[in-house]
Amino acid sequence: MTRPPLSHLVLALAGKDWQLFWADRRAAVLCFVVPVVLASAFGLIFGRSTEDRAATRLPVAVVVEDDGPFTRRVADAVLASDRLEAVELTRAEAETRVADRRPGVAVVLPRGFERVKDWTPGGGGDRPPVEILHHPTTVAERQWAEGVLTETVMRGLAREKLGGLAGAGGDAFAPPFRTEAAPVTGPGRAHFNAYTHSFCGMTLQYLLFWGMESGLLFLRERQRGTWVRMRAAPVPLGAVLLGKMLATAGIALLMVLVTFGFGRVAFGVTVTGSWPGFVLLALAASGLAAATGLLVAAVGGTEARARSVSILVILGVSMVGGLWLPAFLLPGWVRDLALSLPTTWAMRGLDGVTWQGWGFAAALPSVAAVAGFAAVFLAVAVARLVAADRRGRRGGCPG
Amino acid sequence: MPAALSLQDVRVRFGDRLAVDGVSLDVRRGEIVGLLGPNGSGKSTTLAVAAGVLDPAEGVVAVEGVRRAADPAGFAARVGLVPQDCALYDELTAADNLMFFGKLYGLAGRDLRRRVVRTLSRVGMAGRAGHRVGTLSGGMKQRVNLAAALLHDPPVLLLDEPTAALDPAGRDALFADLARVRDDGHAVLLSTHRLDEAEQGCDRVAVLDRGKLAALGEPGALFRSRASDRAVLYGHLRARPPRFLVRAIRHQLGPRVELDVTGRRLRLAAESSEALGRALARVLTEGVEMDTFHTPPGTLERVLRHREAGARSGVAP
Repeated sequence: MTRPPLSHLVLALAGKDWQLFWADRRAAVLCFVVPVVLASAFGLIFGRSTEDRAATRLPVAVVVEDDGPFTRRVADAVLASDRLEAVELTRAEAETRVADRRPGVAVVLPRGFERVKDWTPGGGGDRPPVEILHHPTTVAERQWAEGVLTETVMRGLAREKLGGLAGAGGDAFAPPFRTEAAPVTGPGRAHFNAYTHSFCGMTLQYLLFWGMESGLLFLRERQRGTWVRMRAAPVPLGAVLLGKMLATAGIALLMVLVTFGFGRVAFGVTVTGSWPGFVLLALAASGLAAATGLLVAAVGGTEARARSVSILVILGVSMVGGLWLPAFLLPGWVRDLALSLPTTWAMRGLDGVTWQGWGFAAALPSVAAVAGFAAVFLAVAVARLVAADRRGRRGGCPG
Repeated sequence: MPAALSLQDVRVRFGDRLAVDGVSLDVRRGEIVGLLGPNGSGKSTTLAVAAGVLDPAEGVVAVEGVRRAADPAGFAARVGLVPQDCALYDELTAADNLMFFGKLYGLAGRDLRRRVVRTLSRVGMAGRAGHRVGTLSGGMKQRVNLAAALLHDPPVLLLDEPTAALDPAGRDALFADLARVRDDGHAVLLSTHRLDEAEQGCDRVAVLDRGKLAALGEPGALFRSRASDRAVLYGHLRARPPRFLVRAIRHQLGPRVELDVTGRRLRLAAESSEALGRALARVLTEGVEMDTFHTPPGTLERVLRHREAGARSGVAP
């Protein structure tokens, strides 16, 4: 009897893993359902916030401690602002509610604020303080409130100083310009769909989790009698690893299909850019999942240790790589660091070909980067697994 | 008849330790050879070398003249291995397990399906072909485990402690299967630490001691030569006896009988089977209750006969 062709062996090994995957049908179905549910939830949350942002008014508390007429006018203007959802409270009430983030910011016009009306450009001198109380997590809201207050005070001052000018009244002290917001979505000027971003992110994250799970299964398999029987059969280690890669990548590709298929039907997630670019990215990401699995099996040590470390790493690279939230929310140094992660490139590519309208050439650097990371992971994993196999054959494990 | 499996001067090192030290052994078609020895004696290591999953530091291993170093695939195709742990996927059916392992040996299509049915029938598991392995009993699993090793019809079958997880009925059934396999012309090498299995189930026995081949021969000849050895009985007690009772019984038994009690385990040794029988009767008379006990075969029967004879004569044995 001669050794069967390598392709037969690889297909047999991959087929076995495919059967094992579907043997627990509920677990298998969950592998597809969980990313869909999470992507839908993220899309719902961020989609709504994006669409409603224009109409969003910042909840603010206003505390008025000075009883001067100018202070009252400023307070009334702040309370009437169409960009704020302002309510007047006492300081004690404001402190209690800001601590609970109901609202997250309070503007305090303290005693002595009335002196602001005496300000003259270049006048210098003592400037009365304005306190802005805020919850520790609402830094952006604090800046938002500060901006609105500044504008309101400056308008009030203009009215004070220039009120005698003919025709001054109504909206006469509005800024001498108007703003027009224009979201930039890429060369195709496609309509941004928050679901598309969340489906890209959650699919990538769960591809990595599936890779980890596949690696843990491999780790477990190597402790079992089946591994001894397989190594006694005329099967080279390369065939075993190729079979594992093929099965893991195949299931990962199916996850991409199912997740994006659901996203398209339910939320209109679509590829506005290059379809070949999308397919290449999906293949590269599936390969990355498979290589990650082998890496987990190769360097993981025990199953429990491998699981803990893998979860930590996957969550970390998902967050930093912009899979959960848009990368611009992260500090600059984190965004620079993220360029060294495969998730960043995969996310950038998928965002590009889905809602940013990237062409094939624009997607290629991302494809190359993801495939490159997969190749490096694979090389490290194979080197370690081959070395471990050789050690085992030379008596590394007592029998 | 030339040897189907041949090990010549095999040495295996784990670091500085020689786990197998110069073992030479031939196994012919149509015989079952038992590797007998205590834990750590090198049985599993010798089997791993014979199966080709472990490379010896020195020595030659060949199956029907094919050396692993020269033709690894040809060597592997001629060996069927039943590892100590059940080497099957619990999540798959018995038939799916066999289909998978058959494909690894180049089997495919109708031939593979026919072999799966035939091999499962051979071990009496045809009716469970569609059952998931995880739902089978320990004995059934071991029979499917055996079928997976026989599927590609290898001349050499290797079994590592195949009865370790089986009850007495399962052990008997497995040895009946192995006897049929032997009669079909396979060479069978199995490891065990049970003297009774080696004596009753094997045609020849190789005794390993600290990695060396201490004895090799037919069990009758080997175990007859041990007739002058001390007779030993191992028992599992229903409850742990108080120390004073053990001391008192030991005093009654005298210096020529050894009585060791560790927790609920008991070891009784005497200079002859008859003396062992008398000692056992004394222990039982003192109210020490045993759940189970066993002795090396050949000894147990004599012990029991002695007790029965004593009971019939009305004399305390």
